[in-house]
Amino acid sequence: MKTKNNTLLYILFITFFAILLPAGYLTGLLSVNTISVWGRYFCFAIAALGIDLIWGYTGILSMCQAFFFCLGSYGIAMHLLLKKTVASGATLPDFMAWNKIDTLPFFWQPFHSFGWSIVLCLLIPAAFAFIVGLVLFRSRIKGVYMAIITQALTLAMWLIFLRNETNLGGTNGITDFNTILGYPLSSSSVKLALYLLSLSMLCAAYYCCYRITHSKFGKVLQAIRDSESRVSYTAYKVTDYKLAVFVVAALLAAVGGMLYLPQTGIITPGRMDVKASVEMVMWVALGGRGNLKGAVIGALLVNFLYSICTSLFPDSWLFILGFLFVITVLYFDKGFMGLGDTIRKKFSATRLKTSQTH
Amino acid sequence: MRTSLLRMLMCCLLLPLFSAGQDSASIYTAQLLQPPADSVRTQAIGRLAALRIPATFPLLMAINDKKLYLLDNKAVTINSDSSSKGTYQLYSLYPNNTLLINSSGQPLLLPLSALKTVDIPRADRLLLAGIAPLLNLFSNDPQKRILAYSQLKHTSDSITLRILKAALAKESNADALRTGKDALYAIQLYKASSATNANAYIDSIADNWSDNAPALLRDYARSGFLNQETAQYAAAKAVLLEKRYDNLQRVQHFFSGLSLGSILVLIALGLSIVYGLAGIINMAHGEFMMIGAYTTYCTQLLFTKALGIPQTDLFFFFALPFSFLMAGSLGWILERLVIRHLYAKPLESLLATWGVSLILIQTARLLFGDLTAVKTPQLLSGGWQVSPHLTLPYNRIFIIVLAMLMVLFTYLMLYRTRLGLQIRSVTQNRQMSACLGIETRRVASITFFIGSGLAGLAGCAITLIGNVVPDMGQTYIVDSFLVVVTGGVGKLAGTIVSGLGIGFFTKLSESFFQAVYGKVFILMFIMLFMQYKPKGLFPDKGRIAED
Repeated sequence: MKTKNNTLLYILFITFFAILLPAGYLTGLLSVNTISVWGRYFCFAIAALGIDLIWGYTGILSMCQAFFFCLGSYGIAMHLLLKKTVASGATLPDFMAWNKIDTLPFFWQPFHSFGWSIVLCLLIPAAFAFIVGLVLFRSRIKGVYMAIITQALTLAMWLIFLRNETNLGGTNGITDFNTILGYPLSSSSVKLALYLLSLSMLCAAYYCCYRITHSKFGKVLQAIRDSESRVSYTAYKVTDYKLAVFVVAALLAAVGGMLYLPQTGIITPGRMDVKASVEMVMWVALGGRGNLKGAVIGALLVNFLYSICTSLFPDSWLFILGFLFVITVLYFDKGFMGLGDTIRKKFSATRLKTSQTH
Repeated sequence: MRTSLLRMLMCCLLLPLFSAGQDSASIYTAQLLQPPADSVRTQAIGRLAALRIPATFPLLMAINDKKLYLLDNKAVTINSDSSSKGTYQLYSLYPNNTLLINSSGQPLLLPLSALKTVDIPRADRLLLAGIAPLLNLFSNDPQKRILAYSQLKHTSDSITLRILKAALAKESNADALRTGKDALYAIQLYKASSATNANAYIDSIADNWSDNAPALLRDYARSGFLNQETAQYAAAKAVLLEKRYDNLQRVQHFFSGLSLGSILVLIALGLSIVYGLAGIINMAHGEFMMIGAYTTYCTQLLFTKALGIPQTDLFFFFALPFSFLMAGSLGWILERLVIRHLYAKPLESLLATWGVSLILIQTARLLFGDLTAVKTPQLLSGGWQVSPHLTLPYNRIFIIVLAMLMVLFTYLMLYRTRLGLQIRSVTQNRQMSACLGIETRRVASITFFIGSGLAGLAGCAITLIGNVVPDMGQTYIVDSFLVVVTGGVGKLAGTIVSGLGIGFFTKLSESFFQAVYGKVFILMFIMLFMQYKPKGLFPDKGRIAED
């Protein structure tokens, strides 16, 4: 019964996003921007899968996923900007020239090549997550402490990225690219291709996460979530498992960020401030944590709501989001995906009560 | 003592000049005010400018500024800003430069229409261009006088020196006096021909210790003006001054660290108690601070607009309890509505209270707009000038004192009252306390009231040093959580030590790196610290099971 349900959901999802939306665009019913917007949401969904792995399945609330997401975005942005600069005959990106810098900083050098950019975009977040995870998990920091420290880390990184001296564009971020691998970013076929790429990456990421959570490794993760000390008493190296899942989550966030950049055309430090990092966690909470489908649907739904609400009633979006936060946490512990379960349980509880009183 | 000596000296010096110039000055002044012909006035102004008699300077200033008027055939000038009714205070110009008073002893206030304007053509005013820098020495604006003094450093003619001395004898502003003396000693230093004299002037400059005294002494030392010894003496003095200045800077950093730390302690106190007691991560805690700040703003509005008491410090002292009560009651309501369902679920509470904070921020933005500011009470503006280069602002002192009082209050509440005993017991073991008849829910809501109130009080204090903006709470919330984490949850001593410590370190590292890198440095430090003390500075002792 359950598998049948799942298959139906997958088929629905694939038909809608892989066939109906592109078909809508090709027949002229939808604008290419709508396609591109959904492509962006898929990138968020990929990052949300990572959050679900680390928070929903392992019980570690990491608030620095937004930072890893931005690392991926910044890497690709640096590559695209360098390509554009070289094509226009300049030696330095505009903003560096404005900041009176005469040589390209060393960490920009490898981003001339596309291959290296991809490798670094994955390597840097992974290495960062590894080091931070090693330090934090080794000292058995967990729960709230983990959340606060990773949040503070994101804050510190945000502050660093805001500065002009770090040569990452400061508050304005990096923007104004025109081509990717020689294809113009503004053309609709490139946008469609990026959309399809994001969709297939999302499906691939979902499949990987599904395999992970259904493997022995995934079972240990859930055991850690439910009782960490008992897992360690049974001779599992808890730190290694946590570290591994932390790195995987960071990689997923970075992949999301890398795909996100060419579709929006700008990355600013605002993507990783305190607000953004909590919001990312909230996607998963709203969709249903400990449930991969929930993470994907949460990310898509919240962002879709965001784009509707900010255009219809811009002042009240924060109210809506705030109330969603509170109500989800208070009443719908399992999120959107667990909605049916929660209501059924409530219903049967009241029925049980009434039958007892009779 | 020194000034009076200076003044006596100056009188002796100036007397001959006065007696010679006085009569002719009176004649020229009279000619200037009622000239029989335009050429006579031009000549009179030219002569007065050439004579450079300090007593005539206010008059010449008035001409230069086009503010010369006649009142009963006497030359007067007006001060720069008018009163509310469009009237001006008047000053006589020659031979005395004093404020005019009416028969009842109050300053005489007259509108411009009651005065006769004396028009001096531009060509005549240009005659004064040569002595314009000297004229500014007698300006009514201390800032202009300071500028005029500092421009005099490298002149050396004896008339300028005399005028400078005359100006200094009249000087009333402390900063201007320091700059002026600096100029005077500098001129005299370069004139000094014997080593003892030069050394005396070097000492005077060092004692006077104006902002650019070290630079002045260094210049002198480099020029090797008199001989090698005086040059070395000047250089040594310059080094000494700079070292002393550095020490004072260190005290200043220490002080600002203390005040930042006090703010962090004020915010973290409530946070720490609430977290320890109920296992709640209250991300909306910073917003209660914001509520406190807006309460202060509203109290100010109430006093100035509704009650019509424009200039009073009273509002601030009412705002303190108001903001405590306001933030406290809202906190209590929040506890009733939301937090109550989330006890001992820290991660869930983190998300829910984040939602609450979004709602509160947006509400504040809709109600008050993006930027408001509270006027600092008169009593707390300014500072305690410990030495010329060390001023401790009263508002920061107030914040430190407030934090100390609140820590004391919290200590007494926690360790000397029945409620405190109950709070501590619930913190230690909720179920056991409930078994022993403590109403844990009631204790929790009272604690939440007090914790939020303390944040409100912090918000009220912060209006003294910054603007009031809707998302001001978010600036402090991560820092104050770091304080709680480092200090150990629910520990009063831990909160104080780590709050002050983080405050100090932040300010200290800001003096080495830039502010941002200082923050990153602090974070790295805390992460390393947690390697050794994962439960904070003062962990619970004994075998308290983790899961």
